[in-house]
Amino acid sequence: MTEELAAAPTSSVAAISQPGNARLTFEEWGYRHASRRHFAVRGLDLDIAPGQRVLLLGASGIGKSTILAGAAGLLGADELEEVETSSSHTHAEASARVDADGGMSEGRILVDGVPTQQARGRVGLVLQDPDAQTIFERLGDNVAFGPENMNVERGQIWQRVERSLAAVGLAGLQLHRSTMHLSGGQMQRLALAGALAMRPGILLLDEPTANLDPDGVQQIVGAVGDVLEAQHCTMVLVEHRAGPWIDLIDRVIVLGLEGEAQRSNHAAFRRTAIVADGTPDEVFRDDSIDFAGLGIWVPQRYRHAKDEISRIHSAGEPEYPPETGIGEPLLLTKDLAIGRGGRAIASDINLAFHSGQITALVGANGAGKSTLALTLAGLLDPVGGRVLASPVLQGDADDESPSDWRSSELASRISYVFQNPEHQFARGSVLEEVMLGPLRTGVDETAAKTIGIGLLERFGLRQYAAVNPYTLSGGEKRRLTVAASLAAAPRVLILDEPTFGQDRRTWMQIVTLIHGLRGDGVSIIVVTHDRELVTALGARVVELTPQDSAGEWNAEAGVACDTQSSGAMKTDAQVPDMDMTGVCGLASADSPQVDALNAPSANAAVVRIAVSPVNTRDEAPRPSSRSRLLASLNPSCRLLGGFLASLPMMLSLDWVSATTALCLELVALMAIGFTPWRIMRSTWPIFIGAPGSALAVLLYGKSGGTVWWQWGMINITDRSADLALATGIRILAVGIPAIITVLGIDATDLADSFSENLRLPDRFVYGGLAGMRLFSVLRDDWEALSASRRSRGLGDDNKFKAFFPQAFALLVLSIRRSTMLATAMQARGFGGTGPRSHARIAVVHMRDYVFLAACLAVPIIALITAGLTGSFAFFGG
Amino acid sequence: MSSFQSAVATRPNLKWRVVDIAVASAIGVASSFIYWFVAFITYTPWDALDLLVPGLPGLFNGLWLFAAPLAAIIVRKPGAAIYAEVVAGVLEALMGNTWGGTETFLIALVQGVLAEVAFLIFAYRKWTLPVTVLSGALSGVGCWAYSFIQHLQGIDLGGSYGTIYLITTVLSGMVFAGILMWYLYVGIAKTGALDAFASGRQIRGMTH
Repeated sequence: MTEELAAAPTSSVAAISQPGNARLTFEEWGYRHASRRHFAVRGLDLDIAPGQRVLLLGASGIGKSTILAGAAGLLGADELEEVETSSSHTHAEASARVDADGGMSEGRILVDGVPTQQARGRVGLVLQDPDAQTIFERLGDNVAFGPENMNVERGQIWQRVERSLAAVGLAGLQLHRSTMHLSGGQMQRLALAGALAMRPGILLLDEPTANLDPDGVQQIVGAVGDVLEAQHCTMVLVEHRAGPWIDLIDRVIVLGLEGEAQRSNHAAFRRTAIVADGTPDEVFRDDSIDFAGLGIWVPQRYRHAKDEISRIHSAGEPEYPPETGIGEPLLLTKDLAIGRGGRAIASDINLAFHSGQITALVGANGAGKSTLALTLAGLLDPVGGRVLASPVLQGDADDESPSDWRSSELASRISYVFQNPEHQFARGSVLEEVMLGPLRTGVDETAAKTIGIGLLERFGLRQYAAVNPYTLSGGEKRRLTVAASLAAAPRVLILDEPTFGQDRRTWMQIVTLIHGLRGDGVSIIVVTHDRELVTALGARVVELTPQDSAGEWNAEAGVACDTQSSGAMKTDAQVPDMDMTGVCGLASADSPQVDALNAPSANAAVVRIAVSPVNTRDEAPRPSSRSRLLASLNPSCRLLGGFLASLPMMLSLDWVSATTALCLELVALMAIGFTPWRIMRSTWPIFIGAPGSALAVLLYGKSGGTVWWQWGMINITDRSADLALATGIRILAVGIPAIITVLGIDATDLADSFSENLRLPDRFVYGGLAGMRLFSVLRDDWEALSASRRSRGLGDDNKFKAFFPQAFALLVLSIRRSTMLATAMQARGFGGTGPRSHARIAVVHMRDYVFLAACLAVPIIALITAGLTGSFAFFGG
Repeated sequence: MSSFQSAVATRPNLKWRVVDIAVASAIGVASSFIYWFVAFITYTPWDALDLLVPGLPGLFNGLWLFAAPLAAIIVRKPGAAIYAEVVAGVLEALMGNTWGGTETFLIALVQGVLAEVAFLIFAYRKWTLPVTVLSGALSGVGCWAYSFIQHLQGIDLGGSYGTIYLITTVLSGMVFAGILMWYLYVGIAKTGALDAFASGRQIRGMTH
């Protein structure tokens, strides 16, 4: 087969190493996760021919992700032993294997007839969360990782990187560019490139577009389409919303359960069944399948009227339309400028939010939707202008700006539901979680419990009252965060991406719940890129549009209501009063009854806010030290140099050796380009630490000679003063080189050097490196946690008391993130026992040895000087 | 689901998986923030306490010892304590602390090794509160001993300062790195975040 087109310049090399597309076969396969009592998948028999493009459908929890993980060889690693499993309910006996993760597998998965664990690299997997699949800081390294794990030779790795990046449309980006500054769509394309670089015969996609805005979705679908066109890999896609993908698909498989109905609580007995299998036409036109019941979004072209998402209506819904709400504004903005870190990304925003109104904040990923929403919620200070609460909303609060409210005042007025539910949980049980809001806003225990239980009933969570919130399913977590936010009876509710990644069934539940809140007179603001959500809610649309683009939300409506405003909000000029509804006057005449055939974009009007363009600039590579000499050295040698310069100093505690070393170091550092001021700035903490230790030695140190002062255990003598002086200077002499030589070392470079020069095991070096990347992610998590705690009324606590629960939440988050990261790394073939190659070279030059010698010379000279002057004091003795 | 009993738990699997490494690293990373923060806020009270009762600030020391026992009881692999403590110490030093890089690395190494000893004694088979407390205590001994080799060389380690500092440091290690970490581990396990680990499944009652 000719998978790779001959277009590549080095196709002669590629042709040799190019494996064909592969057949994927499941034989009576089953898997039970160690943490589950039931098999996620059992008895699956499925054969996928080479080159087939399969869409795998089924309700949440049916085991689709488990199937893909199994196919990718991520399950059943290091199988320890065979166990006989016999369900007490059947007489069937099967041979199952327990793996190192404590999971149990049955049957086999074969890639071209070979068990998938042995087919490393033949299967590429792209997961849902772009963040969880970015392993390294630098863009290129992420793509090179798979080929490295497959022991591909270095020269070829970079060819593959270039080609894979080109295949997903990222060719223009610099390889050293930081992944921190990529959009969601770009990150997901990067993950795809990482999978492609392994030249897989099978491409597995596990909801790759669930977290992306419409533009990002198009990017991924386009990239996958191009890749399939060029390489003809076999593809298995799991996706709730298959609409954009449907042209790529030639087979649809719908999964269900067998034996579930009769004995649902003996699910060990249940088997995974194929409910439907055929071409998209055959499957989607089959009326006997209850797609809505299975949580499946039927692609647009196959939709019947019953599948269509239309404006929903709830019982007891108010008369007035959700676009407008009713009465005076509850919350309004006055010449508001928003941004983080003091830099405005949009200014002169004038919006009003009314009771019973539903507003959708839309716009591309990274445009600033969440920034605006957080500012409205009083969780982020405005850069300019103000957010003002109406007297009704303000009530007895002292200030009219939400950002000046105390946390408990905020909680009962404006609530914010975070995108990631785990940023929000603050209590150990579901019931306590919903009781938190009322309790923090002055309601007594009994009343809070009544409110809490009422909300849990309403949101279908009553049976989980005693359960730990973190252990709920995705949809349940989402419902709980909404319930908990409502518990404090806020007048304004802001939800960040409430429907993101949900199957159709959960989606419907959430949308119905949100819509039902109108009856309570709540002003609802949703941050979203889900057009169907906007349609279903009948929401007013406020779009944040980068200045360099035209906006997406009125394209289909065909009316350009905004002639490319620059900087300020155009609509502001057009509409003098605060009511921004219907700004452009293109409301369909009878918008309250948007019916099944109306496209989502036919919403009344789109309010535009111009934001500064999403940053796409080039980045200069960051030097790893302020000194060019240090930056050019091998990172391990820099680390080692720091040790050599400082460790021998421990031998003697005397002021002569310490001062000599300190002087030598200062001279040497100034010679390689550091100013004394710069040295101070880089090492300031030790200038605080040194006097502290010196003081302890002065007061309680070994005594001798004249007694200066004695009081209680304090005994200051000639000797203790000498030792104190020596201690202080020595801490500087030891600390300064150790910090300066190491400061700025790039973690990836250091890892490469550990692996290649010091021959440390790659598992630990790169596994550790991936863990370190969390370092930067955790800062953002901490900020989100602080904001969510303020929003929930926990922000008034004393800082010390508040620190620990928040640190706990951060730890849980980081453990979850690293667990997902480990999966992503294994999906790229990491963690095996075979040899690995290295895409980057770590070299030790002559100058590194010279550097090490110079480092060692410092303490040697210092100690010899001390010896010659007779002040050498072995370990202070 | 008694029908799925197996004998796996009896022999500990001591081979590190990728997820073990990643989570041990994450614990180290998260701890480094707290280590750095503690170093920052204890500077002033440290000297004050030292003036009040010599060696009393040893009570803070447990706040730099907890990464080791925590990682060990979660990951349950040989070397987890050493690894997490060193990662935490090195990152703390890189953020800038009052001790500088080399000293922080070495003291972390010593503390990690001694914390590890507690679990090694029981051949990585016993994961209980008492063993965790022992680990914290031993780690405290390491912290104490190292201080006197390095920045407190000028003080007699057998003297009253040394004795009080040993008692306070070990006590602090037992409380912060031992007892508190055990309950922290139980708390984390209850969130389901440790389901990929035998340690987490045990707390959630999912062992088999």
